[in-house]
Amino acid sequence: MTPQELVVRMLPPFGGWLALAALALPGGAPLRGAAVVLFLAAGPGAAAVRVCAPALGARPAEGPVERREADFARHSDLLERLMLVLFLSIGAVMLVATVLIATHTFSAQRVLLTLTLLTTLAAFCPPLRASPAPRTTPRTPKGSAQ
Amino acid sequence: MRPPATPRERSTPEPTPARGEADLSGTTPETSSQSSSPSSSESSSPAHEPVTDLSDLAPAWTAGRAFAWPGAPLLVALALWAYAVRHTDVSRLDDYGLVTALHPAFWAGLVVLTTGFWFTVRDPSRPGRWAAGYVLGLLVMERATQAVVYPTPLYAWAWKHDAVIDHLLTAGGLQTADQVGDMAVYDQWPGFFAAQAALVRLLGVDSAAMFMAWWPLVSSLMLMLPLLLIYRTFTEDRRLIWTAVWLFYVANWVGQDYFSPQSVAYALHVGVLAVVLRRFGRSAVRDGWPRQAVWTVVITVLLVAIVISHQLTPGMLVVCLLALCLTRRYRDWVPLATTAVIFLAWCLTAALPFLSAAMPDMIRSIGDVGANVETGYGATPTGTGAIATSWAARLLSGSVLLLAGIGVLRQRVLRHRALPLLLIAAAPLPMFAASSYGSEMIFRVLLFMLPGAAFFAAAALLPKVRTLAADAAAQGARGSAESRRRGIVTWVPLTALLLGTLAFVPSYSGKDRINYFPPQEVNLVRQLFDQAPDGSLVVAANRNYPLAYASYGSIDHYWFLDDGRSHVDRIVKSPAATLARDMAGVERPARAYFLLTQGQSANSEMNGQLDRAQLDRIQKSVAASPRFRLVAENSAGWLYVLKQTGGAER
Repeated sequence: MTPQELVVRMLPPFGGWLALAALALPGGAPLRGAAVVLFLAAGPGAAAVRVCAPALGARPAEGPVERREADFARHSDLLERLMLVLFLSIGAVMLVATVLIATHTFSAQRVLLTLTLLTTLAAFCPPLRASPAPRTTPRTPKGSAQ
Repeated sequence: MRPPATPRERSTPEPTPARGEADLSGTTPETSSQSSSPSSSESSSPAHEPVTDLSDLAPAWTAGRAFAWPGAPLLVALALWAYAVRHTDVSRLDDYGLVTALHPAFWAGLVVLTTGFWFTVRDPSRPGRWAAGYVLGLLVMERATQAVVYPTPLYAWAWKHDAVIDHLLTAGGLQTADQVGDMAVYDQWPGFFAAQAALVRLLGVDSAAMFMAWWPLVSSLMLMLPLLLIYRTFTEDRRLIWTAVWLFYVANWVGQDYFSPQSVAYALHVGVLAVVLRRFGRSAVRDGWPRQAVWTVVITVLLVAIVISHQLTPGMLVVCLLALCLTRRYRDWVPLATTAVIFLAWCLTAALPFLSAAMPDMIRSIGDVGANVETGYGATPTGTGAIATSWAARLLSGSVLLLAGIGVLRQRVLRHRALPLLLIAAAPLPMFAASSYGSEMIFRVLLFMLPGAAFFAAAALLPKVRTLAADAAAQGARGSAESRRRGIVTWVPLTALLLGTLAFVPSYSGKDRINYFPPQEVNLVRQLFDQAPDGSLVVAANRNYPLAYASYGSIDHYWFLDDGRSHVDRIVKSPAATLARDMAGVERPARAYFLLTQGQSANSEMNGQLDRAQLDRIQKSVAASPRFRLVAENSAGWLYVLKQTGGAER
């Protein structure tokens, strides 16, 4: 593992622990707000996307019929990862908070701690392996001319 | 037909039966049809340009000017906006809301921004980040202006959601209808509120009111990534992509971007559609390929977040995914089945109490399209300002839908390539027949149609999309009408874009007299809740005031304009006596309060209920009545308490 990979892997849980530490700052403090919002908006999603990345990118995505730009698909994939980082984080916050409130065990610190622990756990997970390579000769779609 | 050899070829659109000959020759339908007969519009493109979709409108800038050009209008527009918001006085809003209160520099900034955007985005050599900068500038001008110019958050509904969060934090768990009455519906879709409750505590602020004024900007920004991804699935043309994003934001005046569950659920909905369009197409899941298990897990997280947050959004998602399954390109039932199962599971468990109570009404409204599209009593724009801004909104939506129709008819190639997007745009329409959704279905359907409609509306403003083969055929046939046509394709779309962008402001902010509650009004209502004992009753004309739902677990409400017309007439005829009778059932130590504020008055007047004279008459009658005592008053309203018999008045 390169130092860069280590940083990418450990940044999300570090953000979570930093946000937990930031709770010691007074309520409404900008630093506290920044640490909390950044982690909640990106931390859990970034950890999940890192784990799933090889499997998610195993096959090319649908794209425009005529491709003229070499980097277009790569940029689209990057945008997709960014979206997943954000939306998976938001989804995780909503799910964890809902579970805690439904079980009458809700506290904001518990929400943050749970998310941080999940993110830390994800950081120690190896990346999911990509699916097996496709067959080189696809079957003929039903009803198509050959 | 040889088997497709590359992923690119595998994603080639479905051949249509009518074009079987062309299919057998191995060309796409649009290629064969267009190359055989290039249209006149195609033949009029500039002859010196490269043969790409992006090449119709090549400007002739020098390198230095080309670098400086896009930034200057953007900076000027933002500077004008900053000047305008510093010199906008919102203390005396009239019936046109923010429209007439805004400093003229705001309008100049919007014109500069839109013009700069158009001349930047139509240049194919310009990097996409400039267009992104302009769209971000648009979002700042559109969605941050209210947060900057108003000292308090807008919308009674946003204040209501703040009260729900406060209640969750106080109760520490979900409650039933036995405990909180009608408000239990929020405990049955708690996802957004639970997350916001955690955020309030983690930020260490008093309530969500501290940050909810910025939510329209936040929720709009959340939409940008999925929108870009959706459009990038069907075209590489940056003009089309960014113009569609621009039109989406301009046409999204409906006002569901405020601090609400639907704002997040809608962004997730568009995100799920983006993933499905990119990752669940035929090329990704054709025979021989493993199923998209990981992608299914990813969208499941998003789907659960949607389902636990909002009632309507999963239904809209189901119809959109069902529409996608109508195409062979996206006939993968996994996303649809996953959505339906999660939605049903939630409806049959956590949300069952609400649904079982509401089911008879819901069943009655199925098929009653006329009633479902009606806006209902108390929602009839009244007064010149309200009518004018309502028409601006209608014209804006109508124009975007009309442009979308023109785009569909005019862009034959795009219509075929982006058929899934067309289906997604049309899919919400049947929901008119399903429910009135509290007289809001027409707005919600419009909102969910927008991602697709904006794409085709943008296509109507841009040159025809051609295939590579059609481009090659058109290259030699460009005629003398080139310069005239260049003028038309530049200025006509720019005018349309400008009118739409300017129309957004009255559509979105034209009713701010209703939606804005000055600090005095907030203070007055706060005084009420600071002193009201548990079990008290608050009587008001309507619920359009801040903190209306504060302490809803322990304070009851009666909004008399929600009552039958005959009773409202009785109140107008004999205000103090009728209201005192209505409030008489409250027993000590609880109290009965009468609250009348400027937000209630504005809502009543501008929606065709009681006018100012009638409300004044009610206030004066209560003020003169010996049965009421004035508790507090300021420039934003009055607070009275009903004197109670059977003991000394406190």
